[in-house]
Amino acid sequence: MPRSEMVMGDGRSQSFAARLKSDWQLGDRSRLAQLLIFVLMVVAAAMFAASIMTGAADASLSNVLRWLLGMEGAEQALSVRDRIIILDIRLPRAVLGLMVGASLAVSGAVMQGLFRNPLADPGLVGVSSGASLGAVLLIVLGSSFFGPLFAIFGFYALPVAAFVGGLITTLLLYKIATRSGQTSVATMLLAGIALGALAGAVTGVLIFMADDKQLRDLTFWGLGSLAGANWMKILSAGPIILVSLAVVPFLARGLNALTLGEAAAFHMGIPVQRLKNIAIVSVAASTGASVAVSGGIGFVGIVVPHVLRMVIGPDHRYLLPASALLGGTLLIFADMIARTIVPPAELPIGIITAFAGAPFFLWILLRGRSHMGL
Amino acid sequence: MIKASNLSVRLSGTQVLHGVNIEATAGQLTAIVGPNGSGKTTSLKAIAGEIPYDGTVSINGHNITTLKPWELALKRAVLPQSTVISFPFTVREIVRMGLSVGAKADAADTDRIARDALEAVDLSGFAGRFYQELSGGEQQRVQLARALCQIWEPVQHGEPAFLLLDEPVSNLDIRHQLTIMRLAKDFCERGGGVIAIMHDLNLTAMFADRMIMMKAGRVHATGHPNEVMTDAVMEAVFGCAMRVNATPPGNVPFVLPHTAA
Repeated sequence: MPRSEMVMGDGRSQSFAARLKSDWQLGDRSRLAQLLIFVLMVVAAAMFAASIMTGAADASLSNVLRWLLGMEGAEQALSVRDRIIILDIRLPRAVLGLMVGASLAVSGAVMQGLFRNPLADPGLVGVSSGASLGAVLLIVLGSSFFGPLFAIFGFYALPVAAFVGGLITTLLLYKIATRSGQTSVATMLLAGIALGALAGAVTGVLIFMADDKQLRDLTFWGLGSLAGANWMKILSAGPIILVSLAVVPFLARGLNALTLGEAAAFHMGIPVQRLKNIAIVSVAASTGASVAVSGGIGFVGIVVPHVLRMVIGPDHRYLLPASALLGGTLLIFADMIARTIVPPAELPIGIITAFAGAPFFLWILLRGRSHMGL
Repeated sequence: MIKASNLSVRLSGTQVLHGVNIEATAGQLTAIVGPNGSGKTTSLKAIAGEIPYDGTVSINGHNITTLKPWELALKRAVLPQSTVISFPFTVREIVRMGLSVGAKADAADTDRIARDALEAVDLSGFAGRFYQELSGGEQQRVQLARALCQIWEPVQHGEPAFLLLDEPVSNLDIRHQLTIMRLAKDFCERGGGVIAIMHDLNLTAMFADRMIMMKAGRVHATGHPNEVMTDAVMEAVFGCAMRVNATPPGNVPFVLPHTAA
């Protein structure tokens, strides 16, 4: 960096820090949130690049980049092996990690806003299990019962089935846990356990019924990892995840008002029923699509929004985009650990997120019991 | 003006309101008073449009069922009895939620309104505090500041706006009871209207322009507090014999014998 820029940068950052401090005293975290979102964008990009560059095999990224940019002589320098490792293995894997991480974190944040409680998470309250059940139903009974589904949806059939499973679970959960606009946390968590167990039991029966080929499909699908990432998966789940992420910014103001209760949100001019419908469908769609391509990866949806709330506060206008960025970054990072910690083997990424996330979840519980109505 | 005609409400199988008529005019503080379970809060919820009811409710001549939520939100703001929040919002963030209704002017304006609203409820300097760390009375005043922001101008586009307050002073110390009642009165004097559910009969007598006395889901009496607060009405509504008194007019000293040691 040139010296003049450094001096200017320092001067600006000092006055910026002072402004952040006075903002904090006034209870205004919007500037801090914007700064954090910018930092997270940079970190996400860096993590994405790092993920493409690291791995068990040695592959030269610069040659691939030169080839992609159409530079002279790059064609010769680039080996077929490098091209496959970078473009067909690592790149789709990083893209899928970013997408799934963003989708898990955002659907956690939206669900927590919807239930007005920081403990709601699609993985914890059975939505992921419902989505899995949808996917397993399709794989096992697919050819005999859902033939037309394949015909209509093609390779979208699996994410769509997982979406439907997740949607039914979310709707049931909301009906059970919410009475006249008040959500009972205890009912939500317990009903979530029951629904998850039920979905798990039905899934178990289906696996029992499955033949050898289906069992192989199920095993590959249910690893809970990004190991099977390819462009096909990205094409099938990507559009669903992107659409459900794209509607989320429009929910931010409504979710903020909803934290004061459904009646208060209505008093403040929010069309509450429509907000809830969109939020539920969006959570089910992004959870379903994520589960369809990567199996069950837990705790991202609860840890990421919680950490961010501690720094920038619960304002969903900032919380949702920040969750998407941090969720994507963390999942790519976890995946880098997963595929480099025990080379040449791979650890399922779900194990890593659980190792980091479960103790964190307990810590949230112990720390914030009094604020959560438990 | 707010006009609720022939309101009937059933809550989980029980008839809670039996054909209640409530009117509140702009420029007046209308107090709803009555024993526990007489239907005060249910009436206010029906008027706010948050529960289903039989009958009609109109604000400034518009039937509220024909208004969109955001249109309604510009005509009336509601203070609920208490609000529990599970997320760590600062006071400033809560208050400014009230400002997000409709299209407001520039950032400097919204900053000023949020600051003035906090000052009006005597919470200047609380903007950076966390809502969850405040006492019940402070939280209630934060919510009132939030509701005030929603209809900061008591008269908008020539139409009066209304504050619906459910027990606005129930958790407050006596100083802040007076602050909030004066604030409500001031809102009326500037052209808005207020409907407040009250338990404190003395504050009601001091501040209300009109009083609606409810009993068992029906309106028992309406009128100026001087007309409604009589020995007979008190006994009929609250079921205990009490004498309604008045301090002597003018600058005449008087002695209350039961203050003798």
